This record gives sequence, structure tokens and C-alpha cells, in this order.
Amino acid sequence: MSKQQELDGLIKSIAAAGEKLPGPERRLFLKQGLTMLGAAGAASGAAGIGAAEAALPPGVPSWTKSLGTGVVTNPYGEPSPFEAHIKRRNLEWLTADKIASISFTPLADLKGIITPNGLVFERYHAGLPAVDPGLHRLMIHGMVDRPIVLSMDDLMRFPSISMTRFLECAANGGMEWRGAQMDRLQLTHGMLACCEWTGVLLSTLLQEVGVQKGAAWILAEGADGSHMSRSIPMDKALDDALIVYAQNGEPLRPEQGYPVRLINPGWEGNTCVKWLRRLKIGDKPWYHREETSKYTDLMPDGSSREFTFVQECNSVITNPCPENPLKGPGKFWVEGLAWSGRGKIKQVDVSFDGGVSWRTTRFTSAVLPRALTRFGVEWDWNGAQALLQSRAIDETGYVQPTYGQLRAVRGTSSIYHKNAIHTWKVNNNGSVANVQIS
Amino acid sequence: MFRFPELLRRCAIVVCGLLLASAITAANSAKPTAYYGYGEPATPQQIAGWDIDIRSDGKGLPPGSGSVQDGEIIYEEQCALCHGSFGEGEGRYPSLAGGEGSLQDARPHKTVGSYWNYTSTLWDYIHRAMPFTQPESLSDDEVYAVTAYVLYLNDLVDGDFVLSQETLTQVQLPNEPNFVPDPRPDVHNKRCMRECKDPNTISIKFEAALHVPTPTKVELPSENTAGESVYRASCAVCHDSGIGGAPVLGDASDWLARIGKDVGTLYSNAINGFQGDRGVMPARGGFTQLSDAEVTAAVDYLVEESR
Ligand code: HEC
Ligand code: HEC
Repeated sequence: MSKQQELDGLIKSIAAAGEKLPGPERRLFLKQGLTMLGAAGAASGAAGIGAAEAALPPGVPSWTKSLGTGVVTNPYGEPSPFEAHIKRRNLEWLTADKIASISFTPLADLKGIITPNGLVFERYHAGLPAVDPGLHRLMIHGMVDRPIVLSMDDLMRFPSISMTRFLECAANGGMEWRGAQMDRLQLTHGMLACCEWTGVLLSTLLQEVGVQKGAAWILAEGADGSHMSRSIPMDKALDDALIVYAQNGEPLRPEQGYPVRLINPGWEGNTCVKWLRRLKIGDKPWYHREETSKYTDLMPDGSSREFTFVQECNSVITNPCPENPLKGPGKFWVEGLAWSGRGKIKQVDVSFDGGVSWRTTRFTSAVLPRALTRFGVEWDWNGAQALLQSRAIDETGYVQPTYGQLRAVRGTSSIYHKNAIHTWKVNNNGSVANVQIS
Repeated sequence: MFRFPELLRRCAIVVCGLLLASAITAANSAKPTAYYGYGEPATPQQIAGWDIDIRSDGKGLPPGSGSVQDGEIIYEEQCALCHGSFGEGEGRYPSLAGGEGSLQDARPHKTVGSYWNYTSTLWDYIHRAMPFTQPESLSDDEVYAVTAYVLYLNDLVDGDFVLSQETLTQVQLPNEPNFVPDPRPDVHNKRCMRECKDPNTISIKFEAALHVPTPTKVELPSENTAGESVYRASCAVCHDSGIGGAPVLGDASDWLARIGKDVGTLYSNAINGFQGDRGVMPARGGFTQLSDAEVTAAVDYLVEESR
């Protein structure tokens, strides 16, 4: 028996002893165990201070003088444990429970334009279903010549295409319509992500089934308990709507609709139905709950706008932000993200004085249509209070509006599609707060 | 050199081929085939099982009917625990009634009666998504009945009303005329680079109180993580708040008598569901995909946390 086997055996027998104890005793047993571990941890922590000094130059850290673990120690790799704080977060009070709820992407910690799969915000209406891809089917029927049922294997035989596109919940920033409420970027703008999506163009599938004359709308329906359903106009279906089975190179994550979802590039996330099980072709929209009770925009005159699909041009500074405060006066690389559901970003300007004067920025990522685009500009911070803003312009010439302009037309009760210029207040001590200014 | 009969034979093959080809084209245009031909044709029976959508003009509604009176019984048993006896909404669950005339208020109250545009939407949604923990569990007649009751809670029909495939589209919702198409882009800004506004007019109107920056505390695993995660995902919806009479997690007095039972009874009540004096505990909390082991782990967690 090797030393390692001996050790494994010992650990197993301790665990088994703990298992056999009844509830309260087991808790005590484990608590004592934890206390002991804690003491050991504290000891190594104390040693750690000395170790830190020894690791820095001219010293050499322990990992440089030893061997690490071997391949497939972790067959599906994970981020460094030092980055454990980079995670999705939710707001308990926002919804009645976690099953029909939302979590937010940690934008403050992300680089470039691609959102890692495990960090893409979640939105469920009946929780995360455990779908077996072998038993999942996509049915296409209604006003078509050849109604079909496709397995995942069938679907993956069609010609595929990959597109990098943003995905944004229509309610992103919705809590800010009446005033600044959220204390950090993750909560003000985090219902946002951008991935490379791979799948089959919906137009390919429509050709395959033979759409009949007069067809104008498609109902997309999910296989989760909410049977999420949205009416999609035929124009979008024939333009760039994608039936997606992979994101950022790997199969879709369960949270993102595994094994297959719809992506309508540039449109509100709710239309991008996850766990897609059915497409029904018809001649009129259905007016289901998520396109009447929800995802309609209430105006000050009491009217409501329906089928408000496009996510208009928007931007936000991600560094600095409340999670990324300034560490002291000096040169600082200010950067952020811009996106537009109508196409490419043409220009992003930044203001440091609350919108009196503006400086243009440069792009530091690829500029793709309907994708997140990263911009940056150098700033010499003198240590005084500053009001930082970003303003994006898209290829249609549309200029991101101010809160004043947006509220003058739409009031404060529309919940969805808030794309106003956002303001961060940098305090003298470098901390950053979410504010709205006149 | 070709001999005549040989030439004739070759011609015949070509002509036949042409004839055959045109025959195939004719058959194709009568009954076109798919280009790739992947997958299986959807049979009418398969379609019938999934074809649940109802359109605003009533297209898709199945035959059937249900009365306000029958609906009240179903609503009290299966909906009121979350949506309140009068549709007022328990806790943060949506309210289903009230809010008439509030759409232009500072805090509009959007409900079936004050905001929705079509009755068909209500039938469709209840059928596809409610009751929350057991979607698609109501029969068509039950959906008609409980839909009628929600309409009644909104004063849109009388107490003796019967909703049916025939009458549904006749019930018009008051807010229907107020929906308009999307006029965007509707808000216009101009690109300005210098002296865009008077610095003296700038004041801070709102400032979100700063709580963060993000904590980096590493959480120690609790002793029953499997049970806890099942609980969080499937049981917390009722047992965190006590909705519908569910004993609350961590409330020792609420759990005392229950923990006194033999643990096998608790397991079987959680797995099979039961009707107690306080309310209904649905089988597996309504999450039928949970294994016995997952449910019992969640019960262990509930019990350990509630001693
Ligand atoms: C366990 C709690 C629960 C029960 C029981 C329940 N619901 Fe719901 N209901 C919800 C939640 C949560 C939502 C919101 C879901 C979402 O937004 O995705 C909802 C939404 C609704 C809505 C839409 C409200 C709106 O304004 O958009 C209707 C209508 C509704 N429920 C009817 C019913 C009916 C009828 C029953 C009984 C047959 C029922 N519910 C039982 C939790 C519940
Ligand atoms: C839709 C609401 C709801 C959900 C979801 C739910 N419960 Fe309950 N549960 C109840 C109610 C109500 C009672 C109390 C019934 C009574 O005593 O009248 C109860 C009672 C119990 C009891 C006590 C049984 C007894 O014999 O006294 C246990 C154990 C329990 N639930 C476990 C669970 C577990 C485990 C889950 C998740 C898998 C769960 N519950 C999900 C509503 C719910």
C-alpha cells in the first residue's frame, strides 16, 4: 500500500464515521473537524505572511521550486480559485423566488467582448429544466408543406454558421427608470452577455419545411415548465434568426437552453426562447403572456407599445465602476462596452465632467454587428470628484440619449428598453457611485 | 460507324430518360420533397400532443367550458396560496386583479383586469404555465373554470358566468384598445463635443447608496450541501416564506411536532405529497423529476436546520 492509498483510506474512514452519526452529532463532529482545520489554516496563514515575502523578488515562490498537479486533475478546467469572486449574483428581493427569477453577469471583472459560458446571466420562468438531448425534439409545423420533428442529431446535420452577438434582457437596467438604485455595475447593466453562437439559420429550416403563402409570424416555444412562448415576425426569421446548439465553442450550457435555443440577434433576450421544442408558422401573432402582460412598454399617456423587439444603442463604462474603484491620482485607462441591436457601433465618446465636454475613444476589440464592442481612452485623474459618462453612436447614426430625453418621451413606468447615458461619480477617495444628474 | 438499330436504341434511352425526368418533376411539383430530408414527418398525433397555443382570436381553443363557481374551488385550492384569495398576490407573487385606472399613476398596478389585452392570453397562460409547480396539470374544463374565476375577480363577468370555447372571445378586456405598435426610434440625441451644457446646471439628482465592492469571502460548504441545493431549488419557494401553510425553515416551534414523527413518515409525505391541517404539500414539492434520494436529502436539511 502506497502512502497516498493509506491517506485516502484514512480520509474515507473518517468521513464514514461522520456519516454514521445522527444529525446533531454529525454536525458537531464536522464543526469540530472544521475548527481543527480552521486552526491549521490560521497557522498556515501566519506562515503565509512570511511565505509572501519569501515569494517576492529577490525570493522565489514555492510553485517555482516544486511540481504541480498532472493533466486531467480537473478534466473540465475551472478558473483559478483566486478568482472565485467572479460569479453571477442575484437580488433576493427582486422576485418571489429563485425559480422565476434572474441573475446578473459580473461585467466589472470581464475583459474583451466574449462572456464566458458560466457567467452569462440566467433568466428562468420555471427554473432550470434538466433536458435529455436524446429525448429532446424540435417540431416545426403550422402553415408549412412538410411538418417535421427533428432530433438533435438531425438538427446538427444541417449546414451550420457561427455569429458573435450580444444577448440582453429587455429589462436590463429597468430598476433605474425612476432613479439610481443599484450600487454596482453588475446590477445596473448585468443582464447582458455576448457569445459566439453556433447553429442553423432558421431560414434554412423554413426552406426545408416549405412555408406556405400568407405565413407572417412564427411562434417559438420552450420545453421548460413555463412553456415560454413568443411570436416572431417572418422577416426576422428569414434575416438572421439562428437555431443555436453551441456557444463559445461548446454545447449550449443548460442555463442557456441546452440542447437548443433560438437567438434573434439584437432583439430582447426573452424572444430568444431557450430549450426550444416547437416552431409553429402562422399568419398572425399570438399575443401570449410574455408579449402582453410582460415585455410591453407602458407610456405616460397610458398606452402600451407591443412587439418592441430591438435593443437600442447603449454603452457603459466598466472601468472604473463601483466594483473597480480608482487607486489614486494619475494615468488611468478608462474602458467600457457599447452595443446596438441595429448593427455596428460607429463611435463612442466619453465625458469626465457630466456631459459638458466629450472626448472620442478608440475601439480595443473587433467591431461586429449586434455584438458587444469594447472602447477605451486614457484619462489623467487629478484626484478631484468627476462625473464619467459614455455615449455610443451606431451605424444608423442613432445617438444614445440622456435620461432627460428618454423620460420626456417614455416617462418612468415602461420597465423595459432603458438605454440612457449612464453616469458614474468618482469621489475624491477613488470610490465610484451610481448617480443620475440633471 | 453506328448501325441503325443501335442508334435507335440509344435514342430510345435518351428519350425515355427525358420522359422519366419530366415525370419526376411533375410528381415533385405536386408533392414537393425536402431538400435535405432530415428528421421525420410530424404526425397529426404528435402535433396534437404539443399544439397547445391559443391565439388572440380564439384559434386553438379546445371544446369545453367551466363556471365561475367551479373555478372558485380550483382557485382556492391551487392558486390562492400564491396569488391571494382575491387575486391580491401573496408576498412578491403577482397579483391577478385590481389596478383599474392606475396605468398613468406613478406606480401603475398592472393586472389581468387593468392591463392585459386578450382573454385568450389568460386561458393560454394558465394552461401552459400554472399552477406554478405543476404546469399542464389542469384539464381543459378546469382551465375554463379557473379562467372564468380570475375574470370574476376582476369584475369582468358575473358570478353565474360560464366560460366556454364559444364565449371566451366575447369577453373583452378593457385595456385592449390601448396597445400600439413600436414607433422607435422615438428619442433623439445629437452628437455634441464641446460646451454641450452649462456646468452650473449640473446637480446630482439620485445617488445609489454604496454597499459594495464585491465581497470575496469564501463560503465553507455546509454539512448537507446536496440537501441544501435541492431545498433551495425546489422547496424554498414554499418553505422559506410559509406560503399556503408550509412550515418555515428554521422555525423550531413550527417543526417540533413534525420532527417528533418518525422520519420515514416525513420522507414519504414529502415524496408522495399529503394534505395536512395547514395545507397541501404537493408530491416532491411539484418537482416530479426529483429522485427519492434528492427529496429525502432535502427533508434531512429541513429537519437539521429546524431543530
Ligand atoms: C407556488 C406559487 C404559485 C401558484 C400555486 C400559482 N401561481 Fe400563478 N404565478 C406564480 C408566479 C411565480 C408567476 C410569475 C411567473 C413568471 O413571471 O414567470 C405567476 C403568474 C401567474 C399569472 C400571470 C400574472 C401576470 O400578471 O402576468 C397568472 C394569470 C397566474 N399565475 C394564474 C395562476 C392560476 C390560475 C393558478 C392556479 C391554477 C396559479 N397561478 C397558481 C406563482 C404561482
Ligand atoms: C407548493 C408549496 C410547497 C412546496 C414547493 C414544498 N412544500 Fe413541503 N409542505 C407544504 C405545506 C403546505 C406543508 C404542510 C402541510 C400541512 O401540514 O398541512 C408541507 C410540509 C412538508 C413537510 C412536513 C411533512 C409532515 O409530515 O408534517 C416536509 C418534510 C416537507 N414539506 C418537505 C418538502 C420538501 C423536501 C420539499 C421540496 C422537495 C417541499 N416540501 C416543497 C408545501 C410545500
